[in-house]
Amino acid sequence: MLRTRPWVPYLYVAPAIALLALIFAYPIVKVIDFSTRLIRGSTGPRVGTLNYRLVFEDPTFRDAAKHSALLLLAVPVLLFISVVVSVLLYERMRGWKLYRSILFIPYILAVPIVGIVASYLFSLNGVVNSILRGMGLDGLALDWLGSERLALWTVMAVIIWREVGFGIILFLARLLSMSEEPLEAARIDGASWWNRLRYVILPELRGTIEFYVVVASITMLAWVFAYVYTLTSGGPGTSTTILELYIYNQGLRNSLPGMASAVAVLLLGATTILIGIRFWFNSRRSDEEVTA
Amino acid sequence: MEHFERPLSRRQLLQYGAGGLAAASLGPLLAACGGSSNSSSGGGPATLKMWWWGQQEAVGIQKWMQDTVAKFKANTGNTIAPTLMSTDNVIPQFTNAAAAGHPPDIQFLFNGIYHMENVWLGYIAPLNGLVSDQVLADSGATQLSVFEGKQYRVGFYSIGFGIAYSKELFDQAGLDADNPPQDWDSFMSACDKLKSSGVQPIGAGVKDGFFGEWYLVNTLTQNLESPADALNLFIGNLDWREPKYHEHWVKLQELKEAGYINDDVNSLQLYQGIQLMQTKKAAMALDTTPDIPNNQKQLGADNVGYFVMPTFGTGAMAGIPILDTQGFGIPAKGQNQDVAAKFLEFMHSPERVQAMWTLSQQIPANTTFDASVVDDPLIKAIQEKWVAGDHNAYIADLMPTKFWTDAMFIASQKILAGDMTGEEAGDLAHDVTETWKKQNPDMVENYTKWGQDLNG
Repeated sequence: MLRTRPWVPYLYVAPAIALLALIFAYPIVKVIDFSTRLIRGSTGPRVGTLNYRLVFEDPTFRDAAKHSALLLLAVPVLLFISVVVSVLLYERMRGWKLYRSILFIPYILAVPIVGIVASYLFSLNGVVNSILRGMGLDGLALDWLGSERLALWTVMAVIIWREVGFGIILFLARLLSMSEEPLEAARIDGASWWNRLRYVILPELRGTIEFYVVVASITMLAWVFAYVYTLTSGGPGTSTTILELYIYNQGLRNSLPGMASAVAVLLLGATTILIGIRFWFNSRRSDEEVTA
Repeated sequence: MEHFERPLSRRQLLQYGAGGLAAASLGPLLAACGGSSNSSSGGGPATLKMWWWGQQEAVGIQKWMQDTVAKFKANTGNTIAPTLMSTDNVIPQFTNAAAAGHPPDIQFLFNGIYHMENVWLGYIAPLNGLVSDQVLADSGATQLSVFEGKQYRVGFYSIGFGIAYSKELFDQAGLDADNPPQDWDSFMSACDKLKSSGVQPIGAGVKDGFFGEWYLVNTLTQNLESPADALNLFIGNLDWREPKYHEHWVKLQELKEAGYINDDVNSLQLYQGIQLMQTKKAAMALDTTPDIPNNQKQLGADNVGYFVMPTFGTGAMAGIPILDTQGFGIPAKGQNQDVAAKFLEFMHSPERVQAMWTLSQQIPANTTFDASVVDDPLIKAIQEKWVAGDHNAYIADLMPTKFWTDAMFIASQKILAGDMTGEEAGDLAHDVTETWKKQNPDMVENYTKWGQDLNG
């Protein structure tokens, strides 16, 4: 057997580690460093935790955090629609391949296009309200994006409309890779559709569901800027301001990259926790499987 | 009265967009990739990089710019390599290139805080001593380009702010279309008559916030004695909660409650609101002078009027037109500052100043411009009143962006949604100003020094 010095393997992987550090670790370290400075231009003096304190004192940040948290309500909706529709498609209803393509189309549209089109559709005198008025439903013709009460929910609906395609395809792919024998056995045993879903399909989808919930949650927290920017720019008032928009405003508009970095670090912490939960679920399931 | 100026373009400038983020990271890279300018230190002809903006707003100005660059080369042998920048990137990209030590030789600059932040970072050179005193004085750079007694910009072209209206709809409502209202009561009365005639008096869109900015500039100014008052409000030395400093928002509330502004104002963006006027769905709209030709195209040349925001305020700035200018400066680390200065002087030579109108139908930012070449009666009247006459600064150029995003933007949208009163908007503005001060102690210091220049 070939014998080498103990540090030699580390030498071989060192270039890859250095590359990863440069690509991933350096920016994170830099953001954390920025969050402790009053940045003017490309650098600035250290201010300790001042940026974090200023962030928590800022009412706009509190509004933004609340709205980002509210957007997490879209996750169970996305999950429910994705699972139900993917199961229906899996049952190979007539024309299921066509439906699959149609349902995925919104997901391949560029978000800014979706945002701009939706902003026309949902304006007070836009297409949606014109249709409602045409149907005599004037009372439902609301100011979907111009009202503080409705704007965040309208934005959420647009996000769900576009993002749900990914969930459907993800779950459908998992279902199509699943062995059909358990389902067939359940059918022969006379299990109803609901029971097949509950006792056969959902357990099979468990890992995918965990993955999807984490990914969708991260999307809601850190990937919806383009929707908000194009649909409402955070208004009316602060009613649709989210953490990403707050970061953008502080970092680029208000010339306060330090505060923007502080919020980015907090957001990174939140998403890291979500990923941690995912790993925890994974390890717990592995333990259960070993025990079984 | 002080003479200052500023453009409509805070609008898109504030829309740095996600693209701005990309620009922030790509800027230095692009600058480095762009190669350095050919220095003239050896005495031979030089090639200078110029990053500019303006065609997006002052349609046709590119023709003048190309002609100016060509004539400068013919006269001096020096080449100017212009790059027309996007609205989102023209300032952020400069800031990043300057930080990386690779700025262009000549840089377009919006007025006020948009270039003053770069002055405070040491990225822009003072023009005193580089550009002749006469050009500095004539170029319409405005007082907002002066910091600690030094001037950092020369002007480019002019932009006036006011209300554009359809004379036809005024006539239909029984109003005197040639004598638009000058005071607030007359204005409200005119709105009432227009509404009674079945016409929406004012077309507006506040979704992107810029209507709120234009409205604030046209109205808050009326209760101020000088631009320094505006600066002192923005940095908290004056109190927004005093009735005269939020009266403009109370007036906006009145317009909303009277139904004089379209009910979908929160669903529309600035130019969608203006289009209501251009398509005769509304009689009036806040607008700027570069948009007048477009209004004339839509409504007919004889059917468009333009007037100063009617007055309710009692400050020294009330009733006076608001004017702004775009401009150019020289980066502190520019390698060909002498040649760059010569080019700025050439832009302001008498022949070039006149050529801006003849080639591009834009009003130059230069007090020596002979307006007899302007043949359009409305544009001529605007030039005489807004540019040649006494005019006010565009005070939004003094506004910290935090105030824009967290006070002006929010207050205007909420008032127009019926969710906030003018008085509450004053409270919000006060709170945001206090927050801004906490977050930007160093900027407060710079602003205070700047205020001394504004007090003259």
